[in-house]
Amino acid sequence: MYEFNLAALKGYIAALPPALAATVWLSLLAIVCSLALGIVLALMRTNTNRLLRIVGGTYVEVLRNVPLLIIIYLFFFGLPAVGLRLSGWQTSFLALTFASAAYMAEIVRGGLAGVGPGQYEAARSQGMGAFQLYGYVVLPQVIRIAYAPFGNMCVAIVLGSSLASVVGVEEVTTWMHSAGSGSFRYLEAFTVAALAYVVLAQAINGLRIATGRWLLRHRNPGAPL
Amino acid sequence: MSDLAAVSSYWLLFAKGLGTTIWISWLALLIGSVVGGILAHLRLVPARPVRAVVVGYVELFRSIPPLMLFFGSYYGVSYALGLNLSPFVAATVALSLHASSMMSEVIRGGLQSVDSGQWAAGRASGMTNLQILSLVVWPQSFRVALPPAVGVYIATLKDTAVASVIGYVELTRSGLIVRENTGSSFLVFVIIAAMYFVVCYAISQLGAYWERRFRIVGHK
Repeated sequence: MYEFNLAALKGYIAALPPALAATVWLSLLAIVCSLALGIVLALMRTNTNRLLRIVGGTYVEVLRNVPLLIIIYLFFFGLPAVGLRLSGWQTSFLALTFASAAYMAEIVRGGLAGVGPGQYEAARSQGMGAFQLYGYVVLPQVIRIAYAPFGNMCVAIVLGSSLASVVGVEEVTTWMHSAGSGSFRYLEAFTVAALAYVVLAQAINGLRIATGRWLLRHRNPGAPL
Repeated sequence: MSDLAAVSSYWLLFAKGLGTTIWISWLALLIGSVVGGILAHLRLVPARPVRAVVVGYVELFRSIPPLMLFFGSYYGVSYALGLNLSPFVAATVALSLHASSMMSEVIRGGLQSVDSGQWAAGRASGMTNLQILSLVVWPQSFRVALPPAVGVYIATLKDTAVASVIGYVELTRSGLIVRENTGSSFLVFVIIAAMYFVVCYAISQLGAYWERRFRIVGHK
């Protein structure tokens, strides 16, 4: 019978905090940058200029329908062939950002679509400028619609960051694989790493739920969203 | 140009790889739907412990990266139990675990979209729970669950690419093999990316068509 023995991982535990930090740092950067790129893409897709709409739409459709791993391989193995050599970390950061931006664009676009034309007209008829219109009227409503899918996307980015281990980034999945095969205690290493991801994901979920409560704090209970 | 000739001589490997990718994604979707469907129905059970176990399963396998599930089912099982799963079995297990947790949420969403008044009306008409489920609830929840289920399938199909890291020869692994043999990295991965795109995009368009076709008047 297999004996579950966490103590066998003792020699590897010191490498876990930096690995965890690498996962968090890579995910955080990708979340911030993909959101920024996603906002630009969403504004392109809702623009009156047809060319911008086509470029934005094509970007979103292509990046949503290609596996992240393929984008990582394309950057890591493919780009050196055309003269651009990226490190494993740069590769995973860029691939994660570009792929996630397509989803972020859809989330932002969904938020913008929830603000009806009447809102813009009403704001303008009150004499609001562009800054007031977006700052006080549009953005608060977009955030209320988009915060929940944004939270889910953040979890997806953390999970996606595990693919960085394929190109040699020392993050949690890499730690699991080297600790597991080094100590011959793979199941224990798996359990520890899984726990790390579950804690991260549930922390994001908790933040998302708390944000939702705070955003909707003035709403009557039972009122339609 | 010689690159293109060298790479295209491997067209059969690409085609086989694509076939394998589609086959294992369907298998994972099928197992994921059956397990996910059972889990979603177990969440309707009044007993708290049952629901807690289901929520635990769903949250656990939604929160673990697919790559870790591949590693875990391939290396973890072999280290722990001395049981050597083939890459195919390990990949199917990993994909099904992830797909079932996502599918369970989709099906639960469908079941919950049916108003509780429908259950009450069914009981008032003297129907058994099974009759209410199969004649009243399922047909209505199907229309709600179908569009997100297509999304789960596309996600699963994209996750199959990760099976290449444990040596399962599907489309991505085929690409890596052609890359090694021809040394033409950029072209190979552009071709592979295009193949994934065509399949996933076609499925998403089909999903969008179904969404229009099965739209429930007044829903959403």
